[in-house]
Amino acid sequence: MKLNHNISTAQFALDAALEKGCNDARITLNESRQNTFTFRNDQLDRLQQATSSSLFLQLYVDGKYGTFSTNKTDRKELLDFISKGVEITKLITEDKDRGLPDKNLYYRGGEGKDLRQYDNLYSDISTEQKINIAKDCNYEILGKDERILNVTSEFSDYEDYNLIIDSQGFMGETEQTGFTISTDCSVKGEKDARPEGWWYESSLFFNKLYYKGCGERALERALKKIDPKKLRSGRYNMIVENTVSSKLVAPIISALNGANIQQNNSFLQNKLGEKVFSPLLEIYDDVHLPESFGARYFDSEGVATKPMKIIDCGIINTYFVNSYYSKKTGLPVTIDSPSVPECYVAGEKNCNIIKDLHFLLNKSVNGVLVTGFNGGNSNSSTGDFSFGIEGFYFENGECLFPVSEMNITGNIISLWNSIIEIGNDPRTSNRWLIPSLLFENVDFNGF
Amino acid sequence: MCLILGYFAKNKFFMIHNLLQLFGVTEDKLKELTTISLAEGGDYSDLFFEHTLVDELILRDGEVNGAGSHIDYGMGIRVLAGDRTGYAYTEITSMKEMINAAKSASIIAKDCKKLEPAVNVTPLEYKNHYPIMVPWEESSITSRSIYIKELNDRIFSLDSRVNKVLGKLTISLTEILFYNSEGILCADERPMATLSVTVIMQQGSRIENGSSSRSYRMGAEFLTHQLIDEIAKEVVQNTSILFDAEIPQGGEMPVVMGAGGSGILLHEAIGHSFEADFNRQNISIFSEKFGKKICSEEISVVDDGTITSNRGAVNFDDEGVPGQKTYMVTEGYLTSYLHDRISARFYNTASTGNGRRESFRFMPIPRMRATYMLSGKSKESDIIASVKKGIYVDTFSNGQVQIGAGDFTFYVKSGNLIENGRLTKPIKDINIIGNGPMALADIIAVADNSSIDNGAWICGKEQYCPVSCGMPSVLISKLIIGGVQQ
Repeated sequence: MKLNHNISTAQFALDAALEKGCNDARITLNESRQNTFTFRNDQLDRLQQATSSSLFLQLYVDGKYGTFSTNKTDRKELLDFISKGVEITKLITEDKDRGLPDKNLYYRGGEGKDLRQYDNLYSDISTEQKINIAKDCNYEILGKDERILNVTSEFSDYEDYNLIIDSQGFMGETEQTGFTISTDCSVKGEKDARPEGWWYESSLFFNKLYYKGCGERALERALKKIDPKKLRSGRYNMIVENTVSSKLVAPIISALNGANIQQNNSFLQNKLGEKVFSPLLEIYDDVHLPESFGARYFDSEGVATKPMKIIDCGIINTYFVNSYYSKKTGLPVTIDSPSVPECYVAGEKNCNIIKDLHFLLNKSVNGVLVTGFNGGNSNSSTGDFSFGIEGFYFENGECLFPVSEMNITGNIISLWNSIIEIGNDPRTSNRWLIPSLLFENVDFNGF
Repeated sequence: MCLILGYFAKNKFFMIHNLLQLFGVTEDKLKELTTISLAEGGDYSDLFFEHTLVDELILRDGEVNGAGSHIDYGMGIRVLAGDRTGYAYTEITSMKEMINAAKSASIIAKDCKKLEPAVNVTPLEYKNHYPIMVPWEESSITSRSIYIKELNDRIFSLDSRVNKVLGKLTISLTEILFYNSEGILCADERPMATLSVTVIMQQGSRIENGSSSRSYRMGAEFLTHQLIDEIAKEVVQNTSILFDAEIPQGGEMPVVMGAGGSGILLHEAIGHSFEADFNRQNISIFSEKFGKKICSEEISVVDDGTITSNRGAVNFDDEGVPGQKTYMVTEGYLTSYLHDRISARFYNTASTGNGRRESFRFMPIPRMRATYMLSGKSKESDIIASVKKGIYVDTFSNGQVQIGAGDFTFYVKSGNLIENGRLTKPIKDINIIGNGPMALADIIAVADNSSIDNGAWICGKEQYCPVSCGMPSVLISKLIIGGVQQ
């Protein structure tokens, strides 16, 4: 069964919105289907299958703006829903900065390069194949260690279709598939503790989902976490594994967001063009990278995307400003958010030396390898952060014992000025391609 | 009160009738669907119909200049075979689509023992924990906007350092129709009103932000001038104090947790670990602690779905089990896990009514409702006075837990140092981390001031669910405090 690609419903909604009094409108249609199969220990534990379709409407009426969504797409009901939406919008206050973007910014096609987002095999993969992948991952480790308490592997996939049309004539479609396998393993630890280890692999293409070894890696990670210790509070070198390193990039991306800039709620306010971070740091939006999860030719407004440096040698090169916040702030329209952010040492995008976790562990001599974050937050106004962590204490390139129940605390700007090495080992299973990172003199809080 | 309950009992019949019509089904069709869902085998199935309407108004830059309305409609079919679950949902409630969903869900039970569904329909008996005094239909967009604008103006009037105010009023009404293979039929209307605000304040070049919210299952009586004043004062006070606050020196030290929002400790440190799915699977650190003493006899912890108008209240859960009050810890002993139907069968006990889900798109799992600790006997002032060097915390933003290891965290937006028994310098932006069983055992004093925090708490276990939490002030002898080296 294929998705409907119900373009006529979206067009009907757009026509209806204009007929009911909108000056402009944008309609986004989403259709998707998902399957999830969960294998727990030696049996299929859960299966979940679903198909969804929804319409998201952005209505512009006499300088006023409203957003509406529904998954009831019967024409009569939709017409009634849009009528009410227009009436509601009329009752609020005008906001002259709301409107569709400059037409000249739209994506117009013709790029030529296939971003390779859709697997044509999607509908041909049998339920049995999917269940067997989850089952195989469990059987990689079941019975292999007497300390195993529970093993759960989950195979999930999705097919997603998006259509954007607006009253200025923009029309853009995207299709994407995705496949993920994950294994979670709990083992008997010291006293009542039951440490968990997990691993996952994701791909846009079924034949590139390298699921073998997923169970073994989950078990290995769980066993390594048995009997963790707390370190004495102090400053330590910190390596952050590529599985979780995007946690430390996220506050930067959030601070560059146009809404936060306009609301005066960003620690990177008024920093455009300034050197804020270490000159080592480059963050690049490789938006047209084929077979990557976030690759796209246009954003949610239809504005054309282009590869660009976000941070260049520590200098803030761009904010993420959509057409609304552009009018509010006077900043030029970029795109609404980054798509495929990559992070590397400035000038080393195509470095041939392998800089993986092993490389960073040897370079640092000693410190803490962070393999997981446990809660915490960062202050968007100041950049102050405090995160719970777990991982390993290491010396001379070797992990000596697991650590947990500790925090790291500091300021995002200071932290990224203490970066001393950036790996080149990002996981392609992640949407953000952030590699392992090495920082010096990070405040760890323990006993 | 009796009149309200009497009205509600009568109203239940009409509610079922109306929702059968809304979803285009009859009792016979419900029976037919459960029969199809169990055709391959299985011992239980249920049908969960939902229509949710969410209206929102947004205040930005001094004006109510954003509006929205969102409909989510559909139904989910679940089949159980022992503790295994098959689930499918559809957004179209035609018999054809629902039969397809039933068949998809039934695959889980292939070759399993088959149970015949009930022949007779039995309406569920339950109490109404969220009476509506003024239906939201009687409140116009314009009248709602006036309150939000008043909130903006009140906040600006309280402190000249206020720079930006971002406000949001969200009103939702979820209509539920539930039927299962035991013949239980019930319907519910679940209102939720939430007013939230974020304030940006500037003092010289320094900027700080703070947020506040209130959320109840209420009608339009929710919006009052008193509520506006309460939120405005709270958010300005909590944000302005940050200009004097610093990140403290980190490390291990005693922590006094103030009454109310400190209930996040219970939610993260023990609540999730008491959810019976984790214990059934033997992955919770409390898996072997049932019936055992786990903390001071002064401590009793409750998860409650029956608090009138509370954000975590449920007339019945999403498995058709009436809302109830569950004592998880009674005078220091672990006396109950939080059960859904699956775990209740596993433990051969009754469900505690904790089977909840985000929407028809999700299968239910054990979830908390309103989780709080009962008052003890100490005075908060005496507890603070007993601490030579530590911290006092009372404003939080988020938390997390690792179920198996038991390590939990919560992020402190603001608090104070305690020096020689007195609250001194304000502190901010620190994460606190501890181990659930140890932290519970390390609670050495409980105050007599238990209160519920009525902020817009959301629990994110696999899916999102509204919850609330509460706590009296307590002293925990040691936790790891985030901070910098001085």
